[in-house]
Amino acid sequence: MDLQLTPEQTLLRDSAARFIAAAGGKVARGYRAQAASFAPARLRQAGELGWLGMLVPAYANGLGLGLTELALVLEQAGRGLVCEPIALAAVSAAALAQARTPHPMLERVMSGAALVVPALQESAHGDDPLAPRTQAAGEGSAPRLSGRKMFVCADGADGFLVSANGRHGAALCYVARDAPGVTLAAMPTVEGRSLAALELADAPADLISAHQSSRSAVDALQDLALIALSAELLGVTESAHEITLDYLRIRKQFGKPIGSFQVLAHQAVNNFIRIEAMRSLLFQVAANNEPYRIDPAMAVAVKAKASEDALAVTQSCIQLHGAIGFTDEHDIGLYLKRAMLLSSLMGNAAAQRRRYAAIAGQTA
Amino acid sequence: MFRHDAPAEAQFRMQVREWLEANLPHVLRGRTTRPPPAQLMPWYQALSRKGWIAPHWPVQYGGMGATLNEQIIMTEELARIGAPQLPAQGLNHIGPILMEFGTASQKAQHLPPILAGTAIWAQGYSEPGAGSDLASLSTRAALERDRFVVRGHKIWTTWAHHSDWMFALVRTDPQAQPRQAGISFLLIDLHSPGIRIRPIRTIAGDEEFSEVFLDDVAVPAENLVGKLHDGWRIANALLGHERLATSSPQFALSALERIRIMARASGIIADGAFQDRLAAAAINVTALSALFSHAVELTNHERSLGPESSVIKIFASELLQTLNELLVEAAGGFALAQQPVATNLEEVDVAASYLQSRRVTIYGGSSEIQRNILARRVLNLPS
Repeated sequence: MDLQLTPEQTLLRDSAARFIAAAGGKVARGYRAQAASFAPARLRQAGELGWLGMLVPAYANGLGLGLTELALVLEQAGRGLVCEPIALAAVSAAALAQARTPHPMLERVMSGAALVVPALQESAHGDDPLAPRTQAAGEGSAPRLSGRKMFVCADGADGFLVSANGRHGAALCYVARDAPGVTLAAMPTVEGRSLAALELADAPADLISAHQSSRSAVDALQDLALIALSAELLGVTESAHEITLDYLRIRKQFGKPIGSFQVLAHQAVNNFIRIEAMRSLLFQVAANNEPYRIDPAMAVAVKAKASEDALAVTQSCIQLHGAIGFTDEHDIGLYLKRAMLLSSLMGNAAAQRRRYAAIAGQTA
Repeated sequence: MFRHDAPAEAQFRMQVREWLEANLPHVLRGRTTRPPPAQLMPWYQALSRKGWIAPHWPVQYGGMGATLNEQIIMTEELARIGAPQLPAQGLNHIGPILMEFGTASQKAQHLPPILAGTAIWAQGYSEPGAGSDLASLSTRAALERDRFVVRGHKIWTTWAHHSDWMFALVRTDPQAQPRQAGISFLLIDLHSPGIRIRPIRTIAGDEEFSEVFLDDVAVPAENLVGKLHDGWRIANALLGHERLATSSPQFALSALERIRIMARASGIIADGAFQDRLAAAAINVTALSALFSHAVELTNHERSLGPESSVIKIFASELLQTLNELLVEAAGGFALAQQPVATNLEEVDVAASYLQSRRVTIYGGSSEIQRNILARRVLNLPS
């Protein structure tokens, strides 16, 4: 179903489509054999287009746009299998800009000259963002952090936004990659990017205060990241679906295009229904929430649905291609792998459902 | 749900909530099986006198002309209080059809009684030999000067035995090719001589629908809606509208609340596996609300949603079944009880609700047919 976009939103979406024209499966494959997972020049280009500072308020030189605009750009990034971590950079920029006086890293993050990513997860099965085990010791705005963060997209990152338990509960802190006490252990993934364990041993950090409308800085970043990742998941899923529809129309067996076989047509329709549901949910939540104060039940609902549906659809797309879909040479497998990565980041579908049950009071 | 009411909307919501609380009789709340007309129509008429019976009708026809948000607020508040399902054939089917295709005289004759709740309508489409393959219908209407003579047999006609009028698809040209080109849209007074109605019992134990036998029934020629042989197009023009109406999140929201009550009463709410299924279902109810809002937004700008409405029909109906399956699960050994199951909060009807839910993927175009439509007309897959 069509979205009703303003002319500005349409322009934004279309400019994103042009950026991704230079992305795609071939580029994504190229990074699998390298240490780098994206092109710094392209990240700077995204910065020039204003996307990294998309959510940053105007008083901090950002575009001051909302969740719909974020979702439109990231949907396109997902479609194109863009490797630059635009989602993580944009939500990190928003986090750095929350305080009355934005963090000094903000300017370089917005331009794409530097990359900062969230480091909120601690366990394999989803965490309570308001109860991190990482500890923040010391007074005031310069705490020292000790603990371990998991599944951090650390490739090419200059710094991290870490959630830690301080004197007043969960706090968000900026830690530089090259700060003392910081160690990274990378886990290569089948998608191409590495996910790192971030060890912090009394590492110096800067406290990030919350936006005036937020409940907490950690909450705000967590919920924003869930929406951002879901938008990218949507794009990945839509592209995989469209590639598959083309295949169903063209591939012939038994003298007919295989898309004419009812069981395959119905499987494609089921994929389409998942996409429509996920899309409406994402854009309705985006239209009804502000970037720094997203309803947490809605954020987890969106991520739960996007995570589950993206895997279901991209798996199905391989099935609908038959044997050729199982080859590395065909692009369709790249979409499954990207879906695997994005669906598990910040907690997979099951983790989001557990949090939903807790938030909605459906456990007793 | 995910929407935040603007101040004026919050005020409207409170107004609706308070009025419903004061005016919906308790005996009509949380009913799984639709109450009979003697109980239901006074409620319909009360809503009508309040001016709230047709939020989606244009003001010029006596409707509320409500904004999208107001319509959603009404849906949510009706669900919250467990309001009974109103007869939809007049409000959601023939009403909008007459607004678009009817003559001034037909509109003047039929729209006010629908609004007022003084006329009840039935939909005469399916026949024993024409269900999914509706275009093969054979109820014959032969035009003789100033009237049609109708002979045939309609089935699955909801509330026909309670209805005053029936809008029917009839065959006016048996030779036409394709078959759709020989079908007309006719308004039939069910009190006419030659009509016999036989209620049919469902597995849920009610008699919601009937078969209608038409034995040389005389129907005035001015009861033709639109042009002769153009009935198929008329019936299909507003299918999107109909699919949307049956897909209101109201039913899913009600079901979710009943599951929570039953799960707490039976203790299954503490089980992690059940919590996961309940969370998944609740998330899908949110997704349905989003789909529904999105679709209503689009219909507010155009007349009809078209074949994409099948997505919502499939999603809503299959979700309602999943919810009822979860309700049965939550009730455990009590799921089979004929009477509603008593809990500390309210009585929850489990078995009847579950059995009722088996029809939602069949009526209004089965899930299988809806998928065929989507495959051909939205995904452009070859046939």
